[in-house]
Amino acid sequence: MTELRPHFHEELAQLESDLVLMGEQASQMIADALGALVRSDAEAARAVIDHDDVVDDLYLAVHERWLATMALQTPVAIDLRLMSVILHVNSHLERIADLAVTIAKITELSQGLPHDPTVMSHLQEMGDIVSTMVRTVMEAFTNRDLDTALSLPEMDRPVNRLNRKMVRKVVKLAEETDLLEWGVRMTVVSRTLERAGDNAVDIAEQTAFLLTGEFREFTDASHHD
Amino acid sequence: MGNQVAEAPRLAGSDATDVASVPMTVTVSDRSEPVADNPAIFEVDRLNVHYGDFHAVKDVSLGIRKNEITALIGPSGCGKSTVLRCFNRMNDLIEIARVSGSIQYHGVDLYGPEVDPVQVRRHIGMVFQKPNPFPKSIYDNVAFGPKIAGFEGSMDDLVEEALTKAALWDEVKDKLEGSAYALSGGQQQRLCIARAIATSPDVVLMDEPASALDPIATLRIEDLMQGLKEDYSIVIVTHNMQQAARVSDRTAFFTVDMEQTGQRTGVLVEFDETSKIFTNPGEKRTEDYITGRFG
Repeated sequence: MTELRPHFHEELAQLESDLVLMGEQASQMIADALGALVRSDAEAARAVIDHDDVVDDLYLAVHERWLATMALQTPVAIDLRLMSVILHVNSHLERIADLAVTIAKITELSQGLPHDPTVMSHLQEMGDIVSTMVRTVMEAFTNRDLDTALSLPEMDRPVNRLNRKMVRKVVKLAEETDLLEWGVRMTVVSRTLERAGDNAVDIAEQTAFLLTGEFREFTDASHHD
Repeated sequence: MGNQVAEAPRLAGSDATDVASVPMTVTVSDRSEPVADNPAIFEVDRLNVHYGDFHAVKDVSLGIRKNEITALIGPSGCGKSTVLRCFNRMNDLIEIARVSGSIQYHGVDLYGPEVDPVQVRRHIGMVFQKPNPFPKSIYDNVAFGPKIAGFEGSMDDLVEEALTKAALWDEVKDKLEGSAYALSGGQQQRLCIARAIATSPDVVLMDEPASALDPIATLRIEDLMQGLKEDYSIVIVTHNMQQAARVSDRTAFFTVDMEQTGQRTGVLVEFDETSKIFTNPGEKRTEDYITGRFG
């Protein structure tokens, strides 16, 4: 018994390895964007924004090679599912990196504004969870670990909860008008982190599809948890 | 949409009922939808084929459904062609071949003692790997079968209809008396398909029908098959997995098992809707084969 399509399967492995690299970059960008926000570090925020070009280049390279592989290799079965998953995960990771850029831009815009330490600590907590979610789901994908993939909605739950609390906190900040602008900007950061968490859950759904052959959404946007 | 199950054809030596004359409701499957449960044409139950002491096919059970294209795939020696040849009793022509188990054709035991293999082949046409037209005119190639069968209607109309269904009429209508050998390989194969359907079979068996053709001729045959399945049920053996994926509604994957005696024998691993086989097969052996991980 021999491997009949080594070149094709090497190509698949290379695409997957590029995705893993993107996952590391995206996870780090979320962590770095939050670090810059918490320290009010404009230089670190600019570094996050600049780093997005690296992820964009990876995204385009994966997309280009994906098209060629589909056209030339006509994958089937587990290979076809992996190709479908690669296309989705590529988009989700590129989106997560873009969301990190959004947070970094808000950090730049928030320079010099007074801030509230409680709100900041909530955002830091959300950022830590989301960054961990991205790392965890990429490990689940790489290790073909269904149980870990299925655990992502549970990891996402506190992110959603903190995001919902954020509006109430900012309404309270309205009593202190000098904090209002900063507070409104932080609701956008909170919402952005919540979206990044959802993208990680979407990657977990793709991982489950790869392993089971059946696609189902773990959570439904129309149902609150 | 409902389907009317065909009455059992008469396969005895004389006065055989023409299956194609039995009115039926045709359901054309939409490939984006699950394949409809069309009535069965063949029900194969624990089919075993021996050539002398060689156990070629072991315990194959599957159903071939009406107005569907069923593909038989698998590595060389897996028994897919042997199974195909059981459907029109072609193995009878091999002296040492022995068939056991059962093949019901419209509920009739195909290997029953009263069944005449010649009548079987009138209902179940066959197209071979290499185009094999008779050394006759295009017209006579198509008219040959119906003539032998005593067809009494308009032969011109029948020839035109068969060539039209085989997507060849427009290319040959002005040279019907010309030699079939003057046609290209792809045209010759479509002529053989026209010849096979001229006797109004209800099943067409195809054994690697495009493997000797160039890519364009191959695509024409594949496209033709999609039209033919509105009127016929098709069983195709192919080495080309992508061809099976492109044309068929259901796919049977065969492989070779090593018997305790060290003898190699063909077995059916998995039989399911083609979209399932090529996206999420149920058996690892199917997945390993179609993804090229093991050969």
